[in-house]
Amino acid sequence: MSENNNSLSTQKLLVGIFSILLLIVLIIVAAVEMKQTHEPDLVVDISGINKSCVNCHTQKGIAVKAIDHWKQSLHAQQNISCTDCHTAEEGDFDAFYCPESDFLVAKHPTPKDCAQCHEQQVNEFADSKHAHQFWLIKNTDRSIFENPISTRHGCEQCHNIGNLWPDGSIGECDACHPKHTFSKAVARQPETCGECHIGPDHPHIEIYLESKHGNIFRAQEKNLDMNYSSKDGKAIPIDIPVCSTCHMDGNETQPMTHNVSARLAWESQSAWSFRTVWLDETLGNWEMKRSRMESICKSCHSPDFIGTYLLTADLVNFQYNEMRRLMVGYNKKLTENGTISRLEKDGKFYSDPLLNGWDEEPEYLMYHAWHHQGRRFRHGAIMMGADYTQWHGIWELQDDMVNMLKFAAEQGDTEAIKWVQSNDPIKFAPYALYDIPGNAFGINVLSNTLPYVYNAYPDYWERIEANVRTVYENGLLSEDQWRLWSKRCENKDHYLGTKYNADSVYKIYTDRDVIDTKAMNKQAVELKLPGKPFWIW
Amino acid sequence: MSAKIKKWFMERVPFNQENTSKVMSEIFLREPIPKHMKNWYYALGATPLILFAFMVVTGILLTFYYIPSPDKAYESVRYITEEVSMGYWIRGIHRWASNLMVIAIILHMVRVFFTRGYRKPRELNWIIGILMLGVTLTLCFTGYSMVYNQLSFWATTVGTNMIKEIPLVGNTVLGLLRGGEEVSSNTLTRFFNLHIGFLPTVLFILIVVHIVFVRMHGVSKVEGNENEETYAFYPEHFYHTIIVALFLLAFISALTVILPPGLGEPADPKVTPAHIKPEWYFFAVYSLLKFIPLKVGIYLMIALVIAATFWPFIDDILRKKWPKLRAHYMVGSLTIVLFLFFTVYEIIVY
Repeated sequence: MSENNNSLSTQKLLVGIFSILLLIVLIIVAAVEMKQTHEPDLVVDISGINKSCVNCHTQKGIAVKAIDHWKQSLHAQQNISCTDCHTAEEGDFDAFYCPESDFLVAKHPTPKDCAQCHEQQVNEFADSKHAHQFWLIKNTDRSIFENPISTRHGCEQCHNIGNLWPDGSIGECDACHPKHTFSKAVARQPETCGECHIGPDHPHIEIYLESKHGNIFRAQEKNLDMNYSSKDGKAIPIDIPVCSTCHMDGNETQPMTHNVSARLAWESQSAWSFRTVWLDETLGNWEMKRSRMESICKSCHSPDFIGTYLLTADLVNFQYNEMRRLMVGYNKKLTENGTISRLEKDGKFYSDPLLNGWDEEPEYLMYHAWHHQGRRFRHGAIMMGADYTQWHGIWELQDDMVNMLKFAAEQGDTEAIKWVQSNDPIKFAPYALYDIPGNAFGINVLSNTLPYVYNAYPDYWERIEANVRTVYENGLLSEDQWRLWSKRCENKDHYLGTKYNADSVYKIYTDRDVIDTKAMNKQAVELKLPGKPFWIW
Repeated sequence: MSAKIKKWFMERVPFNQENTSKVMSEIFLREPIPKHMKNWYYALGATPLILFAFMVVTGILLTFYYIPSPDKAYESVRYITEEVSMGYWIRGIHRWASNLMVIAIILHMVRVFFTRGYRKPRELNWIIGILMLGVTLTLCFTGYSMVYNQLSFWATTVGTNMIKEIPLVGNTVLGLLRGGEEVSSNTLTRFFNLHIGFLPTVLFILIVVHIVFVRMHGVSKVEGNENEETYAFYPEHFYHTIIVALFLLAFISALTVILPPGLGEPADPKVTPAHIKPEWYFFAVYSLLKFIPLKVGIYLMIALVIAATFWPFIDDILRKKWPKLRAHYMVGSLTIVLFLFFTVYEIIVY
């Protein structure tokens, strides 16, 4: 019996000890594993000289957040630390000894440093117009009209993206990939581009946010992971494009590029729109650049929509040039006949009757008609910013033209006087016109019955065709574009919607309009008040 | 009225109610329980069964939303976890219950092993138990792959790779399970089918057989004290079981709230993660296999499984040869220590 008792107590002891041991250890093991099913925390290895940097900076509270940002970066995960980028040699333009240490460090890591690992990206960037020194080459607007201190945190801050460093490298990578996270997601955020591409002269972020693209982006933004890699020929993983999607990201057919000029077919920021010849020898001509852009568009859109949309935007650029021709023509004429004069000092001119000037009305109007209104008109058209093509674009361009002609008439210019005194409705088109039957979005049965020129000029489309044919024959439209335009022209009754009849539907609205007009007249126009005005006329 | 309904029903379903109820109560309520078990210490026998029941209920609920296809599986698990009302709780209970079920089975085996509950005439029930352990672990393995995140995808790949090493049938079984050369949509649908259909059914049948065996033999008594007094299963042991079930529900819910199962990154067959690891209950085997060649390891595992399965007979032979030797104490202790060592080693090193 005692042996049995011994046996029972031994069993109880063993079962008890091992059960408790197993229970505790295995539940802890299961808990640790369960915790790891979540995204593991970043493990950042800080060692060697970098440990000294981090410790000292942390203790002294110098740029601590920069270190925190670096810890979140892919660099940190891959053990790329302080000295990998802030490396310096004696005599480097930015070399300095970190105070209280003997570390020689670089104050400004430049694209040359980034190129140690990201050579392709740095080279692509250097080949892009982001790196172009045009703002220095044609700087008269900056150096005359504005004073230097204003430019420090003004134009210099944005054009810093193409900074020309003493070490010969060009660019500022952290203009888009902010230090020290160097995040892809932040670089893709439209507001990053919008830091510079904003405002009256090139409101690209505003145009984007006005467009359907921007609207859907805002609606879906919370669910988008913008931190994707675009290098591997995979489909674009977000459902709605941001700026970089079209201008930089790769898809199944296009490689990712840091050359933002590789997909642009127009120089439409310049005073005259012209087909880009930027690095034609390596990037191909404008048609090649346009085809790259279209390859990205095709990720979402049909070729017919893309073709019609972009062709319409191209015709807007041609149209702008005709308006520009009128503005420049008058400026030149008024300068030549001495009505206005150029800025001049010691035989050197500081304004240009073909480009700019700020102290006389026609020069000022011409400058704005290019640098502000003219860009909004063109860029709105190519990036779906209807309001920027319309009210901030063509409306203000026409306004500039009217004011220019009024000024010239006041100064005795006979042609301008004739224009001012004319009552002919066509006076607002004192230049050649471009057009395309209908638009990319659908068929509108009635909207094309209204334009004055359609009704007043039976040869309207022949004249337009002649103009479009001329730009095509000069290589400014592609074969496909000309074919697309001709197809639409041949079948224009369909595309203009004029062959269809919707009078019965339209009548519902004209009837309603009669009621509205009556109400407006009764409530406002015909309302008479007993009180007299306080000002006596 | 109720008498009328009862009469109508009894005419159509003519079973002997009185007799049936007597037999039922004899089987279920009056099951004799040895006196030494009148203690909380012994109230854990039904734990794996309770956890299995939890998993059946939560598993059915999970299938309402789960989609077993590679491009939708991860998203559907994310949807269950993040958007379905109480979805995280249901998924958490399912996941935690599976973890605890493995622990509960191990504890149950420890008890049976050290008390030699497998001794004559209960050897067959031990073998059924080993089969149930195998089915449970297979359920865990197939269930883990359902999430279709990076870890589970690669654990499935590596885990199924081992099957290839099984002599003679390895390649055939591997092909049958994967439905192709690699882990693919075929694998996922096969695993899903096994996980929600075949394996639970097999486990249910084995549980029934296991309990029938227990009932036929009676609960094993302390060795050498076969005349131990007994008491009826109902009410004391029955209510202990109910209390254990309620405790487990609360405990698992708490674990789910404190440590909810995560989602990880979606599976990407093109990107192999730096560290591939299975669920923790395979750590010991996984860790051991790193120290020895895979082929040797697989043979060793097969030998261990055979030894474990036929342990009651092996133990019997050893006893006959060396009556004084308490082989099961040594083998049991050594197995537990090695199992814990390799499991903890794996978690610390990686």
